[in-house]
Amino acid sequence: MKKRLLALLLLTGLLSAALTGCGGGSTEQAAEDGQTADGSTGARAQTNEIVVGIAQDLDESLDPHLAVAAGTKEVMFNVFEGLVKPTPEGDLIPAVADHYEISEDQTTYTFTLREGVMFHNGDPVEMRDVEYSIERCADDSEGTPLIPALSAISAMEADDTTLTITLDQPDSEFLSYMTLAILPEDYPDQATAPVGTGPFKFVSRTAQDSIVLERFDDYWGTPAQLDKVTFRIIENADSLVMSLQSGAIDMFTHLTSTQVAQLGDDFQVLEGTMNLVQALYLNNAVEPFNNEKVRQALCYAVDKQQIIDLAFDGYGSPIGSSMYPAFQKYFVEDLTDYYSYDPERAKELLAEAGYPDGFTMTITVPSNYQPHIDTATVLAEQLKAVGITAEIQLVDWGTWVDQAYTNRQFQSTVIGVDASNMTARALLERFVSTADNNFINYQNADYDALFQQAQATADDAEQTELYKQMERNLTEHAANVYIQDLADLVVLRKGLEGYRFYPIYVMDLSTVHYTA
Amino acid sequence: MKYVCKRILMLLVTMVIVSFLAFAAFDLISGSPAEIMLGTQATPDRVAELEAQLGLDRPFLVRYVSWLAGFFTGDLGTSYSYSQPVWELIAPKVGITLWLSLISFVLIAVVSVPVGLWASRGRSRLGDAVGTVLDQLCMAVPPFFTGILLSWLFSITLHWFVHGQFPDLGTDPAGALQYLFFAAVAIAIPRIAMTVRMLRSTIQGEMRKDYVRTAISRGNDRSGVLWHHVLRNALVPVVTFLAQTMAEIVAASIVVEQVFAIPGLGRLLVASISNRDYPVVQAIVVILAFWVVLAGTAADILNQRIDPRLRLGGAS
Repeated sequence: MKKRLLALLLLTGLLSAALTGCGGGSTEQAAEDGQTADGSTGARAQTNEIVVGIAQDLDESLDPHLAVAAGTKEVMFNVFEGLVKPTPEGDLIPAVADHYEISEDQTTYTFTLREGVMFHNGDPVEMRDVEYSIERCADDSEGTPLIPALSAISAMEADDTTLTITLDQPDSEFLSYMTLAILPEDYPDQATAPVGTGPFKFVSRTAQDSIVLERFDDYWGTPAQLDKVTFRIIENADSLVMSLQSGAIDMFTHLTSTQVAQLGDDFQVLEGTMNLVQALYLNNAVEPFNNEKVRQALCYAVDKQQIIDLAFDGYGSPIGSSMYPAFQKYFVEDLTDYYSYDPERAKELLAEAGYPDGFTMTITVPSNYQPHIDTATVLAEQLKAVGITAEIQLVDWGTWVDQAYTNRQFQSTVIGVDASNMTARALLERFVSTADNNFINYQNADYDALFQQAQATADDAEQTELYKQMERNLTEHAANVYIQDLADLVVLRKGLEGYRFYPIYVMDLSTVHYTA
Repeated sequence: MKYVCKRILMLLVTMVIVSFLAFAAFDLISGSPAEIMLGTQATPDRVAELEAQLGLDRPFLVRYVSWLAGFFTGDLGTSYSYSQPVWELIAPKVGITLWLSLISFVLIAVVSVPVGLWASRGRSRLGDAVGTVLDQLCMAVPPFFTGILLSWLFSITLHWFVHGQFPDLGTDPAGALQYLFFAAVAIAIPRIAMTVRMLRSTIQGEMRKDYVRTAISRGNDRSGVLWHHVLRNALVPVVTFLAQTMAEIVAASIVVEQVFAIPGLGRLLVASISNRDYPVVQAIVVILAFWVVLAGTAADILNQRIDPRLRLGGAS
């Protein structure tokens, strides 16, 4: 007993000695030695370069037509451009094309090539490169084309400066697919040393370490303001915060509110949205979620605002269907509160559905996404209040893609679904009964019919209205328990400015610059 | 000579077994590289197509034998994730992890032997208690936590190195080694504590043996006996233990590389496992296995120098 007490005393003594020792050091040293950390960031301001931290490596093909990870596309947005490209406001503006015309029936698209657009390897962009890029994405000789929507192209005619694309049927969204990257024809190393036309050119990639981009001096448009951008891969959350504090990195996107709180005054925090539909996705084909009443009960049992407050310190925008607020054109605001939090109503619905005592369910969550894990934890508590026992099963990303996504072997999962381009179709097509990526097995004849109509119409207003009806359909039938569009917290070292958010998942660095 | 040949043969056999086990483990866990490469764009058709392209549709043994054949002819294959030759990917990282392991190992050996000797002499009860608590504390703290503390103290507060900005080993070796030193301390602390404790108890055990009493009764002083007689005997289990430590250093470096943002083999290994990038994983596993088995061999040879009785079996 005495021995133990002694040990305990010693331990507390040691700890407090260590802590005061460190504390004293920190105040003194910060004042006199702050130079070192500033030194490296100051040097970067001199050479007009920045280091941006990213949480995952670009560990796949860098060929923009083949890359799939959101994190890769986000970074390589700086390197590639299509005939048109998106703006922060959500519009499409001409890029490699100088201008375009759309026929009134929306079946013919005519693009005029911009003069003097150069590839990063020094070659001028020619019509054959444009044709090659589009044909490559539309090629269906080996099964599904890279961009399935391009199978609507019935003819493509080109001379040196104009490209005319004719479609089988009118498609008001076709233009958004023309954001596909224009690549040089006959260039074999696209996967490892990509070449595009964007404001930055690719310099190097070191696995699990860094990606380096430099300003492309022959860019056709407004040149990038920075000379050089190094993306440094830092997966570890503690290491990330320390790397910002030590001066190793200047910028990081997608921070959590907890991480932001640990940073000092050297940083400014910008808040945007992630542009993801985060939901408790329910497998509509398995018990008990094949019963609409059960799904609705879950919607009533979940308090979105509480999830945002508890797990995200209040940052985040609640949603009610497969659409996020940044898509102003398509977002239906009143769906957000369609199922207001009502645990009593949830219990009634469960009783009606034949589960008066609730049931046990599994929420599968990929273990590499902390926001989804936190969300699932709060969800499980909320469901407990209506008698549902939710068990959280953490799986690694590979297992999630394999079991939950590809083979649809799951009961429910928390995940964020993004849009691959700026169309409502990118978010809504996946819930059509026959869609390859309809991983929740949603089967609704009305929904399928609405989608057919939306595709058939050439009238933009009518199409928008049909998409809104599809969103309403998903909400009314409680396809999933919709939660929020996550907040995107971006930190920039003070002295840097010009970062702009987009309604899609990209990180545009061409406008970032030093103030002085 | 015969002994060395035998050891080399054993080394080869061990590496083949290890690589086979790693290969088999991948066959058992779910998730194919093709599915991961396609991510949320995975459809059964595309997965099948990509698997055929990567040669993953062949039976397990065929794939393993073809990998092994490639390995022995110096072809480590191409990474699925990076579409680059595996050797090109790992070559710059081998040096970093090797240095990190070496510095950790030297730290452990250099610190723990004198401290262990010193600790074995302690007689006061208070001193013993302090020592035991300190030892327990150091043993219990996991390297990732020490790593965070060290970074915070020496980088954020004292600015002795810039956390998250690992200098290039080729162009700034001094800076890189300084950076690695702090990571090595995080790895070494618990292992030093274990080695000290072990050395202390072996020495104390030896000191109670008859030959020590005889030596002292013949008029030798205590430290002379400790130095000339006891240490030799006490070192044999410690050297064996240090060799095993090599394996644990390698394991700990995987974690510590993440905490210190060091672009070493460990981080690539972890990423490649979750990407199911077999060619990279296989190559790294074989390198690490080689490293660990080599340390074991070195320990055996060293032990035979220290204690000639151990030579009976092998060398002639």
